[in-house]
Amino acid sequence: MYSSDDYNEGGYESYGDYEPHTGDPQYDLEYDRSYYKMPDMVKKFLVYFRNMINEGVTYEIQNLYENTFPKLTEQYFENTPWPEESEVGPLVDNDHVFMILYKELYFRDIYARVPGGPKPEQRFHSFYNYCDLFNYILSAETPVPLELPDQWLWELIDEFVYQFQSFAQYRSRTSKLSQAEIDALNTENKAWNVLCILNVLHSLVDKSNIKKQLEVYATGGDPDSVAGEFGRHSLYKMLGYFSLVGLLRLHSLLGDYYQAIKVLENIELHKKSQYSHVPACQISTSYYVGFAYMMMRRYADAIRTLSSALLYMQRTKQLFSSRSYQNDQINKQTDQMYHLLAICLVLHPQCVDESIQQVLREKNYHEKMFKMQYGDLGEFEASFTFACPKFLSACPPPVDASAGYGSHAVKHQTQVFMDEVRQQKMLPTIRSYLKLYTTLPLAKLAAFMSMARGGERDAAREHAALAIHLLCFKHKMKNVVWSKGPSGLDGKFQSGSELDFYIDNDMVHIADTKVAHRYGDFFIRKILKFEELNRKLHHIKI
Amino acid sequence: MAETMKQTVASILKTIERYNPANLQTLERYVDMQSRDNTYDLEANLAVLKLYQFNPEKFNADITCQILLKAITNYPHTDFTLCKCLLLESVVENETISQIKYLADILEQCDFAQFWNRVHQMPELCNRIVGFHDSIRKFVCHVVGITFQTIDKDNLANLLGGIDDVTLKHWVKKYGWRDDGDLIFIANQDENIKTKNITEKIEFEHLAPLMALL
Repeated sequence: MYSSDDYNEGGYESYGDYEPHTGDPQYDLEYDRSYYKMPDMVKKFLVYFRNMINEGVTYEIQNLYENTFPKLTEQYFENTPWPEESEVGPLVDNDHVFMILYKELYFRDIYARVPGGPKPEQRFHSFYNYCDLFNYILSAETPVPLELPDQWLWELIDEFVYQFQSFAQYRSRTSKLSQAEIDALNTENKAWNVLCILNVLHSLVDKSNIKKQLEVYATGGDPDSVAGEFGRHSLYKMLGYFSLVGLLRLHSLLGDYYQAIKVLENIELHKKSQYSHVPACQISTSYYVGFAYMMMRRYADAIRTLSSALLYMQRTKQLFSSRSYQNDQINKQTDQMYHLLAICLVLHPQCVDESIQQVLREKNYHEKMFKMQYGDLGEFEASFTFACPKFLSACPPPVDASAGYGSHAVKHQTQVFMDEVRQQKMLPTIRSYLKLYTTLPLAKLAAFMSMARGGERDAAREHAALAIHLLCFKHKMKNVVWSKGPSGLDGKFQSGSELDFYIDNDMVHIADTKVAHRYGDFFIRKILKFEELNRKLHHIKI
Repeated sequence: MAETMKQTVASILKTIERYNPANLQTLERYVDMQSRDNTYDLEANLAVLKLYQFNPEKFNADITCQILLKAITNYPHTDFTLCKCLLLESVVENETISQIKYLADILEQCDFAQFWNRVHQMPELCNRIVGFHDSIRKFVCHVVGITFQTIDKDNLANLLGGIDDVTLKHWVKKYGWRDDGDLIFIANQDENIKTKNITEKIEFEHLAPLMALL
């Protein structure tokens, strides 16, 4: 009987009957394939893994999934995929459900690690494997006897959407595809269709009654009372919840920000709840919600969403460092969120938490924000393209698609964003002048503006131009802000930016927000630090 | 009739049926109806654009134009941006759609004089949308309402599209503003818009541990 202790006692050594490598990776790869013998350790692992899943020992499944599987991958399959279905099947009595789960991990590993990415047929097989899995779960008459850790369920849904994204990108790179690949794509035109993806996610949502559950939960009731036979089971409930987040991501990738936010109705993003214990899911949710808000010009909402997620991550950093395989993704997304926050704060200056401010003062972000403040459109575009999701075209490319077809969707969304930035181009200049005064005659401000532009003086035209810019300032800085209610789309018009003004006939009256330095906080921290140092010094014995 | 239509559409939008191209005809008729009856349903219109996104061969330029113009009538909301994000990349080349995008662009920049100028040059486009001009005037009044304490009367009339005295009186009354001769009094803004001072407050609990050290 296999036990997980084997790993801790150098159990890997038993894998000694392996013949030496030639040193040529290509040759080795072929060699490995043809003379392949599955290491005993891997065999034992697979059998044990299957038993634990069948017995429903969730904590052990979690350990095997999160720790052992990546460890074995590193140890035995660094340059090769995991064993094929045909090799694994006999070991586990061809257990139908286990084989589906195994193949999901097998393909996911190929997507993540194998250079050059999956081959077309691997993409298709992976898709049909997902179909098998979701059919098994969704078409059952009574809830299926399967318990998986929430982390796994989240990664399952997330990976499903990711593989769709990856497929859509692959298919749109028309100029790089070989004729064989194009033929394969044409014959398999059902796989990875956007409607299939939507259908699966919607079905999981419906089957679990998760929307009703969230609604009841938000009003303080017991979600089980409306969950129904399926929704009461953790598997269905959490798959339903994660599917909502999957839909958020999918809608965002297609540029549908309205549906993206709407699908999260009744989820309070910043509240701890019984659904919010998978950090990667929380972070991903905040990223897409923050982005959608930014595109809807709801900067105050975007800033609130992003900074609260970034604060949460600052506080729980240790939590992430231990799980290496999730780290790259999370670090990248963090960096993207800081970029989005930087963009929002340039367009809509506003007070944020000191510890977030501190990160933004670091050289990298500081420089970018400085450039954007001075109207560097190139910097806006660069920051946006770095931070935005990988937008997709929903449909296969037309037969006569031009070479750059794959990047059209990204270009289109960038264009929409840059239109917005261009419309707001004059606002930072106006803001910088207004900041210096409490009242300022229109004529004087008009003169400043023309000096900034260095043009010749034409008082009437300057005045007219300024009047337009001031109206634009007020319009752009007055946005819908969420305050309460189940839907993130709701809200009231507010001006949340730090500088505001009004015009009384031809005089501008300015209201600024003055933030006093936080001396007290600073001194308290230093005193505590000094005291700690002092204590340590006393303990040193010479 | 209009009410049943609204109900039918709402039930389509609630389920996965919203992606079924077979429903496109119903949804398109609903767009026509909104233009005629001066009603508005953003979610339904976005669903139409999404169906075009998924089925480019079903794209209808005329319906798209109506949807975009209706989105313009709902300023200061950002509906137009939401619609723009769902447009197919290939649509950008359509001449009428470019014109509408230009209209939205100058409106977003609050260049109302230029906007009215343009609109008068394309009557056949904008007149299809019942109540189009007045919706824009509502948006103008929104921006004026948040910007001014008092505004020059002629200036206001120009912003509203060069309207005559009687019409101006109507708008002034509608928004509860006051006619002061040459000036229009909008509202007392200094109550809403004033300098905020954020000072640091130190909680007792934060100081207590320091006291213990001394």
